[in-house]
Amino acid sequence: MSDVTFGGGGQMPQVAAEPLIGARRRVLARLLRQRSAIVGLALLAFLVLVAIFADVIATHDPIKVLFDAEPGIRPRTAPCIHLLGCPAVQPQHLLGTDGNARDEFSRVIHGTRVSLFIGFVTVVGAILIGTFIGAVAGFFGGWVDNVLMRLMDMLLAFPALLLALVIVTVLGKGLINAMIAVAIVSIPVYARVMRAAVLSVRELDFVTAARALGDSPASILTRRVVPNSITPLIVQATLGIGTAVLEVAALSFLGLAAQPPTAEWGTMIGNERNQLFTAPWLIIAPGVALTLTVLAFNLLGDGLRDALDPRLAT
Amino acid sequence: MIQFIVRRLVISVPVVLGVVFIVFLLARIVPGDPCVAALGEHANPKSCAAFNSRIGLDLPIFPFIVKHGSSYNLSSDPSSITNNQFVRFLGDLAHGDLGTSVKHGRPVTTLIFERLPTTVELTFYALLFAIAAGIGLGIIAASRHNSKRDLFTMMIANLGVSIPVFVLGLMLAFAFGVLLKDTPFSLPPSGRLSAGLRFQTIAEAWGAASLSGPPRAVLDFLSNMYTVNGLITGQWGLLGDALRHLVLPAIALGTIPMAIIARMTRSSLLEVLGREYIRTAEAKGLRPRVVLFRHALRNALLPVVTVIGLSIASLLSGAVLTETIFGLTGIGLTVFESISARDYVVIQGLALLVALIYVIVNLITDISYGLLDPRVRLTQLS
Amino acid sequence: MTRSPSWSLRLATLFAGAVIVVAACGPAASTSPSQSASAAPPTTGPTVVAEAEQYPADGGVTCASGGNPGSYDGEDYSGKVQLIEAPDPYTVIFHLCSTDTAFLEKMAFSVFAIYDADWLEANVPNGNALTTMNGTGPYKLDQWQPGAEIDYSAFDGYWGDKAVAPNAVLRWGAESAQRLNELRSGNIEGMTLVGANDFEAVASDSSLQLASPPAGTNLNTFYLGMNHDKAPWDNAKVREAVSYAINKQRLVDNFYPPGSEVAKYFTPCALDFACEGDPFPDFNLQKAKDLLTEAGYPNGFETKLQYRPAVRGYLPQPPQIAEDLQAQLADVGIKVTLDEQDNAQYIVNSNTGALDGLFMLGWGADYPEITNFMDYHFGAGCTAAFGACYPDVASQLTTGGSTTDQATRTAAYAAANSALVQDVPMVPLAHGAFANAYVAGVSVAQASPLSNELLFRMSVPSGGDTLRFMQNSEPGSVFCADETDGEALRACEQVLEGLYGFEINGSAAVPVLATSCDPNADGTVWTCHLRQGVKFQDGADFTAHDVIVSMALQWDAAHPLHKGKSSQFEYWAGLWGDYLHASQQPAAPE
Repeated sequence: MSDVTFGGGGQMPQVAAEPLIGARRRVLARLLRQRSAIVGLALLAFLVLVAIFADVIATHDPIKVLFDAEPGIRPRTAPCIHLLGCPAVQPQHLLGTDGNARDEFSRVIHGTRVSLFIGFVTVVGAILIGTFIGAVAGFFGGWVDNVLMRLMDMLLAFPALLLALVIVTVLGKGLINAMIAVAIVSIPVYARVMRAAVLSVRELDFVTAARALGDSPASILTRRVVPNSITPLIVQATLGIGTAVLEVAALSFLGLAAQPPTAEWGTMIGNERNQLFTAPWLIIAPGVALTLTVLAFNLLGDGLRDALDPRLAT
Repeated sequence: MIQFIVRRLVISVPVVLGVVFIVFLLARIVPGDPCVAALGEHANPKSCAAFNSRIGLDLPIFPFIVKHGSSYNLSSDPSSITNNQFVRFLGDLAHGDLGTSVKHGRPVTTLIFERLPTTVELTFYALLFAIAAGIGLGIIAASRHNSKRDLFTMMIANLGVSIPVFVLGLMLAFAFGVLLKDTPFSLPPSGRLSAGLRFQTIAEAWGAASLSGPPRAVLDFLSNMYTVNGLITGQWGLLGDALRHLVLPAIALGTIPMAIIARMTRSSLLEVLGREYIRTAEAKGLRPRVVLFRHALRNALLPVVTVIGLSIASLLSGAVLTETIFGLTGIGLTVFESISARDYVVIQGLALLVALIYVIVNLITDISYGLLDPRVRLTQLS
Repeated sequence: MTRSPSWSLRLATLFAGAVIVVAACGPAASTSPSQSASAAPPTTGPTVVAEAEQYPADGGVTCASGGNPGSYDGEDYSGKVQLIEAPDPYTVIFHLCSTDTAFLEKMAFSVFAIYDADWLEANVPNGNALTTMNGTGPYKLDQWQPGAEIDYSAFDGYWGDKAVAPNAVLRWGAESAQRLNELRSGNIEGMTLVGANDFEAVASDSSLQLASPPAGTNLNTFYLGMNHDKAPWDNAKVREAVSYAINKQRLVDNFYPPGSEVAKYFTPCALDFACEGDPFPDFNLQKAKDLLTEAGYPNGFETKLQYRPAVRGYLPQPPQIAEDLQAQLADVGIKVTLDEQDNAQYIVNSNTGALDGLFMLGWGADYPEITNFMDYHFGAGCTAAFGACYPDVASQLTTGGSTTDQATRTAAYAAANSALVQDVPMVPLAHGAFANAYVAGVSVAQASPLSNELLFRMSVPSGGDTLRFMQNSEPGSVFCADETDGEALRACEQVLEGLYGFEINGSAAVPVLATSCDPNADGTVWTCHLRQGVKFQDGADFTAHDVIVSMALQWDAAHPLHKGKSSQFEYWAGLWGDYLHASQQPAAPE
């Protein structure tokens, strides 16, 4: 679970309702000065490129069993790279073959697509619902706030993975169901962020003025309040993508999310978890890929938080 | 102060009730027939009728709502207001009866009693590792903001948060259990104790083997935490062996909280270090180390306390994976096992347990935060 | 197994008769045969009361005959056992309703181990029997630490060769990699079920040894089943097409451990009569496609491939094997979606015929006889998994199982096998090999084809005093009369013994607590002579009374000791057909 740092109400810069172009450029400049953010951004860009060009980069069809295409191929063969001395008669498999004689390298490459898809879609779903709940709670206050926040507390009363486990068991196995489960589990975080943002801005003068002018709550919310909450939301979302990828991978590891023959990193590790000594590359390769992906989002999220939090200005 | 605590307690009550309700609901919605899961090949209409009647599954779920297979119908039977599964569930709960596991044939409370010590012990040492390493790393990073040291330690912290528990666990087991097998650094790759190690429970060691009832139960619970047992009774061999078995799982489990704590310590410390009173202290000529530890750290650690409380959730989640990989029979493993086996009685009991633990931990965290920071107490009351 | 009645049997009967006569004419005789005379004066030998005993005491079981069901005490009874009698303390005679060709193998099965009658009476009602044991075996149970391990120590009063290692420990770990980890780190001396990919690694590691069962004794079968009462499996040509469609060699080569074999018959050829008659056809992709076209599916069809994730000797890698079958079937034109089901639910679905796609299932031998494989699946009371029974197969199996004549049995099973090839209720695919792994210095390393490793013969290398062995999972309980899982049975086998047992590392039944069990001419009466001077670990003497009570409590659902973890005693009904007072059989686990 990622932590949330959020600048207290009074210390936020007096940003006008409409973001200025100049402010954005300053943020970007600050961002780029954070070394970890640069690394994260670069890593992320790399992953996105891999995902987009997966068909080109991959050497084989990731779900095709190769017994017929390459007679004599065995499952779990070691990597064979011709450049590194593997005899040319052996078919080249950069990361060897998996437990069903499919090319492991292609599966790892295509796994990037699956994981990025999982991360974005899950978090977007959680944000849409979570921010709505948080905004309503923060803006209206009173018993609405109480009920909604207690509901969020109830969701938070369960450790994420365990709750997701139970939800997936109820919904049935499958990648979409797992993503729904993880999204549900992530909602409270965004609700809280949004609510805190709304609370901080609610009492500011320009909002009071807008209400006095007769603006509807909805328009105040969307035009004044929401833009001010973008900052912590973006930070939280970036970190949240990494978490979502990890949690769905954990569910896949336990056999509950991605189903065969989908090439998803968690499933690949889970299928081969007993092969640590006989075919460690089948665990290490997707493990490294998973770690790098989550790392990219975490680094970027960290950098964003540092950049967007004026108190840490270097 | 009392007002503050009472207020927090009162707010927890609806949360707990809500949790109980959700747990009850979830366990009933889990697909798959519990009779089939319990009786396996012996499940036929006759034996299932007897089974359902004994467990109470033939009652309406809620007042007026009856479940048949996977569909729900309304019934107009007024007796279902008090005679339904939910009421029965609450009643059992009030008696401390969580039901009997069909897979293990033992009461859920017994199972919890047997297996909770393992998880508590594991979580404790994981948390210890996370706090010690996390705060340490955070301090190192913050003391030289944006230097190479900062970057490096933050990289480690980031890696810790990014590497999946199951991958880390497998790697550690391989490295220390096999690669380093014949070296002094070797560590056992699974289990809680070396096979064949004989030891005494606390009750036996103190000559109280004939004790029974709640005091005995408490002693047995403590005995099941082998490090506690070894420490209290002076069985140093037991203590050493248990600790050796705990190192790898604790590190695997505690790495994520460690990273979170490290980051939080760093950012909180940086924030505090930027404040005016620190500059005053520096201007007074105090050495950096004194400034750091005597003036900055105490205030910086307040948010860290919250984060520590939050990481309990991460620890309980991660326990499922860690216990599976290292073969530790704790609550995490039991949760997964019972979900796979559709042992819904256990699912229910454990979900409740976990939620309660979490609510209690949150409560303690809130209260301690309130104790440490007077502003929180006062703001909350206004 | 056929035995001609020997002169020893006649002598024993004579002796039994003499004892009865003497007892009846004895001085303090009463008319009731179950009353004992006053205790015999103390002798140096075991003090046993010279009483005759039988179960049920009134001997009122009538067997099924001529289409009429058997009965006992006003209820129908369809079981095989009619009477168990103990004319003297060291003889037990089993009267069966019909021939049993596998009597010795069944008696060797751990579920029928012998308990001390007094101990049962003291420990079954309060449930202690679930967690403690008192047997005649070479190890005694010291302590069961739930979730952790079971500790044994050698029994000094054992009647046979004492245990080599003074202490033994049984542990468990669900993953083969985890067990291998422990073995390599020196925390255990032996483990079961080496992972399919670890065979080479273990074999080539000089500090370890791979123990395989004797060649060709893979007593299990993996098959692809179809319910011929459901479409499209009701089309005989479709089923025939499937029998040509699978490249079994590819499966065995790539997903099974070394030593596994392609299955050409349903029963592994290691068993007598298993491979008589026609074998199933070899892989022929074109023929499979042609048959599908003939069946009316020129472009194939879509269906499900159903399986469960449990690893078994016949199915070492369920998800990988399922995915490969998916790929193979796609080549023929049958497009399957994988349907992984819950372990317990899957078995129920198969037993009720609810599996409507191609389903992956198998069978591991309970005891090494062809009836154990064939009767359950294709006999008169066949499983519903394949749909309605095939009468042609069932009748041949009934013939084969009710005689001991070699020629008749050969002909019957040959006909049954050939019928199976025509009917194709399922396609047998493989017989899976397995291996155990041990540290190099362990002697008498065992890999029992029936999961029957006996720790007392194994030695600990480098002179240690504890033999530590790791199996797959924790026993449910140690009251093995009421257990079915091999993991529980192994825990019991170290402490308890039956009249017969299985030879070390083999599948032949050898005498243990009985010195011999001899059948009469038609195999309906088996007379067992018990070993004398055997003591239980609590000091009690082993006599025929213990045998009677141990059997009776399983057989009679109304017996006060018919109480275990689930109180189902499944294997009694599974192997002997029925319970006395079956209406009192508990419907749900206690």
